[in-house]
Amino acid sequence: METIEIDAYYVPPDLRNQVKAFRIEAYQGEGVTIHLKIPSVSRSFVETLTDHLKVNRRLYLSRLPVERIIDVLDEASRKWLDKRYLLREIALKTIPTITGFSREGVEASIHAEMESSLREDIWRALCSEIKNPLYLDDFQYSPELNGYTRAFGPELIVSIFSENIPALPHLLFMRSLLVKAACLGKVARGEPTFAPLYLKTIEEIDPEMAKSLAVLYWKGGEDDVEEAVINQSDAVILFGSVEACQSLLPKIPRKVRTLIHGHKLGFGVIGRRRLTQQGLEELASAVAQDCSMFDQQACLAPHVYYLEEGGEVTPKEFGQALAKAMEAINIKMPRGKISPGEASAINQLRAQYEFRELGGKEVLLWASPRGTDWTVVYERDSGTFSPSPLNRFIRLIGVENIFQVFPNIKSIGPHLQNAAVAIGDEREKEFMGRLGELGVARITSPGKMSVPSMMWHHDGISPLAFFLRWCDVEKKEEIEGMGKKE
Amino acid sequence: MKELPEEVLDLDEKIIAFIRRGIDHQDSREFNRLALNVFELQFKYISIYRRYCEKRGIDPENISSWERIPALPTDVFKVMELSLLPAQTVRTFMTSGTKRPEERGKVRYDEGGLRLMDATIYEAASAFLFPDGIRTTILIIAPSPEIAPSMIMAYGMNRLMEYFGSSRSRFLVGKEKFEVQVLVDELRRSEGEGTPVTVCGGSFGFVNFFDYCREKGLKFKLPSHSRTLDAGGFKGRSREGKREEFLNDCEEFLGIKRDYSVNLLGMTEMSSQFYDNGLRNAYKGLDIPKAKINPPWTRTQTVDPDTLEPLSADKVGLLRHVDLANRGTILAIQTDDLGKMTPEGFEIFGRAKGDVTRGCSLTIDEMTHIKQEG
Repeated sequence: METIEIDAYYVPPDLRNQVKAFRIEAYQGEGVTIHLKIPSVSRSFVETLTDHLKVNRRLYLSRLPVERIIDVLDEASRKWLDKRYLLREIALKTIPTITGFSREGVEASIHAEMESSLREDIWRALCSEIKNPLYLDDFQYSPELNGYTRAFGPELIVSIFSENIPALPHLLFMRSLLVKAACLGKVARGEPTFAPLYLKTIEEIDPEMAKSLAVLYWKGGEDDVEEAVINQSDAVILFGSVEACQSLLPKIPRKVRTLIHGHKLGFGVIGRRRLTQQGLEELASAVAQDCSMFDQQACLAPHVYYLEEGGEVTPKEFGQALAKAMEAINIKMPRGKISPGEASAINQLRAQYEFRELGGKEVLLWASPRGTDWTVVYERDSGTFSPSPLNRFIRLIGVENIFQVFPNIKSIGPHLQNAAVAIGDEREKEFMGRLGELGVARITSPGKMSVPSMMWHHDGISPLAFFLRWCDVEKKEEIEGMGKKE
Repeated sequence: MKELPEEVLDLDEKIIAFIRRGIDHQDSREFNRLALNVFELQFKYISIYRRYCEKRGIDPENISSWERIPALPTDVFKVMELSLLPAQTVRTFMTSGTKRPEERGKVRYDEGGLRLMDATIYEAASAFLFPDGIRTTILIIAPSPEIAPSMIMAYGMNRLMEYFGSSRSRFLVGKEKFEVQVLVDELRRSEGEGTPVTVCGGSFGFVNFFDYCREKGLKFKLPSHSRTLDAGGFKGRSREGKREEFLNDCEEFLGIKRDYSVNLLGMTEMSSQFYDNGLRNAYKGLDIPKAKINPPWTRTQTVDPDTLEPLSADKVGLLRHVDLANRGTILAIQTDDLGKMTPEGFEIFGRAKGDVTRGCSLTIDEMTHIKQEG
């Protein structure tokens, strides 16, 4: 039996001797025991740490050209994409043991996250949001302004991670680094190991840069620590449940820029033109991918797929094909372990569908051969949006016309985010326009729901530009050293 | 209304006779026989359930043990009314926990089904709540069946009152509010006269009353042999009430000894109730651990939450109950409660799914929130 000791924190090397009073928690996995080291965090330590991060940011990170930062981030992603990379291997042992996700699921998650975090996409994300990434380095001529302008990021961003997606926390460190902000992340209780490992990668590539980054864990609601952290920051990013956000929000002063990524509900829509015999298997695999990735835990995951009737393939036939595809994915990338409550919720809901089916209702149920690994149900539109109990439980809803879905999804207004759309006829444009109006922030194809690009306006926001403060120079004359006016 | 079919009446008679033998009469063979008889009847009458069983390759011909009777997950009652004799329905009880009626489970009773339930109420309460055979004033922190006709707890408490209550017994939750002053007056009277009382109700009703006492600085020293019966649980609402805290409060505010506070697990989907054995143990001087007890006409097993396969006795799993008194609906019920079997009976830890407590207690919570005047 292998034993791995792993930190639920990362602090810059100079401060490591100040991290005290570890609590060690043991997790038993398959052939492996994980000892998770959780530091005890005090107010004074947090204050020392945040000062340290800010000083290092000023001395190093804030002076780095953005291109160099992108180089480091690109290299980090490449390391994590390398199957032989040691830290990745450690993550693949610790994360499944602690979270219950399958190893294959975590692998897929790391792959998806890192592949979308390479140089070209990072550069594009910056260009998309701020036009010229060099604004982050120095004053640049802006033709729109007919003057010079420069963007400044915050000193310290505090980021509160959620636990639903392993390998997601790296994104927040990337965004902080790109705007040259120091970043302190708070890991979630359920998935505390990826973020510290990722910062070790940054340390391997550029130790000076890593000195502006840290990860801690404390219990949500620990007022003393939370207050200290928030008071030291000038920006906060919150991921997670409404409850988690609500306990923190009142503590955040108004001057601190706050970005909340709360709970969201995804869905898909497939029009009759796309329901063809020829494309059936491929489409079913794509939808199965959307429903299986991250075991449907991501806010990006679909709860429901709406299927239009009248195509070559009926929604019911599609359900059959999807069931096959769900089983195929489950063999390749098994669903993780779930709690008794989650399993019970699935079994209870399955029974409801089974009884409705037995009672002659137009309802169908397909379920994994054993246990609750995956579930596909089909029913006609009921007029309300019913969320899925997740963990690979997808509802297929038959609609006569795709435009019928709007009353349903309207009811979840503030939680709208991600939609897969495959219509394939003249209605597609109008349809997408209406989705946008209702609050959908990303429209993609079936199969791609779980892999947004780095360029995506996350939750409809420009996640990099959001944190920037601009300084414009509006003067008639050219300024020496600032480049030419056109 | 038509008479119940002969075969149903015959079986009911046998079940009632079995129940009437009381909680000390253990007869596993007779239980098994009756369970299979009930299953056979339900298989015959309830076509959807029959198809459900057939899909699992189970019919009355091919099983010989109650353990193999397919259990019905409780949430099915939310989408389907499953009963043996729907046309003979005289009462419909609804599960709670949600305000949306379409999400509430509906459980129908025919005349015979109510008689079975009545028998279980009498026998179980005689053994676990009134082992001393005492007759007291029963004060009920719950609405009466007239006010809450679909609440099974109201029905059951009403029966308790009829069977075991003296003439001052009454319900204390009206249409508009919890008549807290009446409760206070009655408790003072009991103190003054030295005649014991029984206070019954949803667990949350008690919690709200104790909050009221705390705020008003009220304390009672109820005569010995006074007792409480609370049904439901605490988690998730009002506050994180724990059993210990509750027992302390009963002692502090009512002056009731811990052994005299009895908890009951009841479900809309089950005709029978599961009491804990605390008071019975104390009265009989039995030195056995506290547990929820299966009366002889019921069985409980734990199953794996994922596969729903039965678990060995030492494992925590979902509770599945088999209740002969459920003749009118479905005998075997798959709950969403997590629990564990013990040598004496079983323990319940609360709901697996989310942290929602058993419904009625929550409704009582809403109904007994004391509106401060002025």
